[in-house]
Amino acid sequence: MKVKVLSGDHAVAHAVKLCKVDVIPTYPITPQTLIIEKISDFIFDGEFDATFMHADSEHSAMSMAVGASATGVRTFTATASQGLALMHEMLYVAPQTRLPIVMANVNRSLGAGSGIWAEYNDSMPERESGWMQVYVEDCQEAMDAIIQAYRVAEDHRVMLPMMVCLDAFVLSHTVEKVLVPEQSEVDAFLPRFRPMNYLDTSNPKFINIAVSPAHSMEMRYQMDHLMRGVAPFIDEVDEEFSKMFGRRYGGVIEEYRMEDADYALMTLGTATSTARVAVDELRAEGRKVGLIKLRFMRPFPHERLRRALEHVKAFGVFDRSISMNGFGPVFTEARNSLYGTGVPVTDHIAGIGGRDLTVQMFKEMFQRIEDSVKGGGRDCYWHGLRGEQI
Amino acid sequence: MFEIRFHGRGGQGAVMAAQTIAEAAVNEGLEAQAFPHFGAERRGAPVMAFARIDTKKISVRTQVYVPDMLVVMDESLLDIEPVADGLKDTGSAVINTSSSPENIDLGKRVRCVTVDATTIALETLKAPIVNTAILGAMAKADPLVSLGSIKKAIISRFGEHLGEKAGALNAEAAQRAYEKAIIGESIAKRQQAKRSMWLPTWQDMPAGVALHPGEVGGMKVGPGSAVQVRTGTWRTRTPRYIEERCVRCVKCWFICPDAAIHRRKDDRIDIDYDHCKGCGICSTVCPARAIEMVRGARL
Ligand code: SF4
Ligand code: SF4
Repeated sequence: MKVKVLSGDHAVAHAVKLCKVDVIPTYPITPQTLIIEKISDFIFDGEFDATFMHADSEHSAMSMAVGASATGVRTFTATASQGLALMHEMLYVAPQTRLPIVMANVNRSLGAGSGIWAEYNDSMPERESGWMQVYVEDCQEAMDAIIQAYRVAEDHRVMLPMMVCLDAFVLSHTVEKVLVPEQSEVDAFLPRFRPMNYLDTSNPKFINIAVSPAHSMEMRYQMDHLMRGVAPFIDEVDEEFSKMFGRRYGGVIEEYRMEDADYALMTLGTATSTARVAVDELRAEGRKVGLIKLRFMRPFPHERLRRALEHVKAFGVFDRSISMNGFGPVFTEARNSLYGTGVPVTDHIAGIGGRDLTVQMFKEMFQRIEDSVKGGGRDCYWHGLRGEQI
Repeated sequence: MFEIRFHGRGGQGAVMAAQTIAEAAVNEGLEAQAFPHFGAERRGAPVMAFARIDTKKISVRTQVYVPDMLVVMDESLLDIEPVADGLKDTGSAVINTSSSPENIDLGKRVRCVTVDATTIALETLKAPIVNTAILGAMAKADPLVSLGSIKKAIISRFGEHLGEKAGALNAEAAQRAYEKAIIGESIAKRQQAKRSMWLPTWQDMPAGVALHPGEVGGMKVGPGSAVQVRTGTWRTRTPRYIEERCVRCVKCWFICPDAAIHRRKDDRIDIDYDHCKGCGICSTVCPARAIEMVRGARL
């Protein structure tokens, strides 16, 4: 193990090297560029033996990734915002053909109306695509999530692609202390890739073919059934990861100071870090608050969430994107999880377009959550908005 | 927790300075975090970077509003940005300038360390990239991270990017700045200015921000509002017009990427210093050497 000071993007690049990825088709886009520049440096310097391919667009990059993975090699790509949107069509091929590609998506808002800063409206719509999605909190987790991602994705009980999502700038360009594992440790944790559906002339088979209405419904059900059952494998891999590397992330969710908590907030991505400080400060004042860090948006941890919230009086969800009808996507999922429990749930939209998230904002969220027990409030609050919410 | 805010211009290496101090702190067994704040991603535009250092894991990820240390890599920013905003009374400021601390008006009396990082950088590195010299002065301003660790971090970070020799030269720039930096106190004559920005409520924001030329709250908005955005403040080199040499070819007027050259009736020119960014293209194309580039933000 080496101690390095790395940005989130560079941590991802180191992880890709440690995972001995074979093929990396890419197209550059801010703030993802540091990832692919670093990978190409590694290859150029002779430290990393992989095939790096320049695509002419993100659509092509994902097509190449699908093609590469279908020949039975470990594949990685990375993108952000508009790039992910351009990939949209090809994204659907990977899960349906059971190709365990891992992709880093640096979360950045889609224009117009915003620029290159953190927001989840690029990746949230892709939760329908069949990709697993993990949202990471710091540079160490960015690295570790890639290593875990291949282990989960390539498990024959799973065989689905995974998107590792990291916040633009707040993580992609932030440097922190990162413990970089030894190659031998990663090799011991991550076995060689054993493909399931791959192109092999000695054993011809069809993949990615058009199917008629007589078959597509069953294909979709297969996917839905599969995704619903994946969460325990993620928890299991995290447990094994902790044995090898001494760090654990809790699998699909992490509970922070949830023991005896009356009021809980759920966050994802880098917001979790700042929210931890708010929880610590409120706890120091004697308030019984706790935090749930949502790691996986797909599979969504309905069951773990219900268990974690058994004792709370009220619950709130932080959303860094909005589905234009009043609610954020994380809230919508979480309220489904809690249907029938009677726990009041409120949505807390903040940090849109990269607006800075402060400790004070999270304290305000906790206040709203506490107040929600009395009833009569809103379902959804915007924090940091100029002008009154109506 | 110790928080640092850097103010610089794109190309001066503020982000790299923040990352290097973080690496130096980690080398000393501390925890650290460093991140940039980008506005306009262009050389010369004002940029900020932040660093945090602590003995325990740093969780908070907001921008730095109440810094313990302020680092200003370009003196001209003192006049155009509210750089000292939020700086703690017990904090310190490190300024790249050829003046001494008692001439630095931060609008606040604080411990102030000045260093002529530009000259040191030009002499040592042959380029006005001041970040490593500034790091040396930072070690003098606060011994939180030692000069030795800073030099080690410079050698590793800059060495990795630019080669071993560049790493050693940059470490030398830090050493020289450490030796030459002057410790004193800043003065508090000026009013702390607030950055003027158009910040409407959602009700007041025109739908789709389809802005027509107009004024909102005393600020020009929409097409034509660039007049008030004084991008000339980004300049670090300034063109000087030598009228008697001018052959009135108007090449400079045609080529200026910022429309900062105005053509007179007789085809001689005027330079709009509020918007000239100092790129030097006019000087390069001028066939009569009638435009000279001068170091500095002003003539
Ligand atoms: S240096 Fe010359 S070309 Fe460049 S912006 Fe200024 S006037 Fe225009
Ligand atoms: S390019 Fe030179 S000679 Fe031509 S108009 Fe401009 S200053 Fe005069």
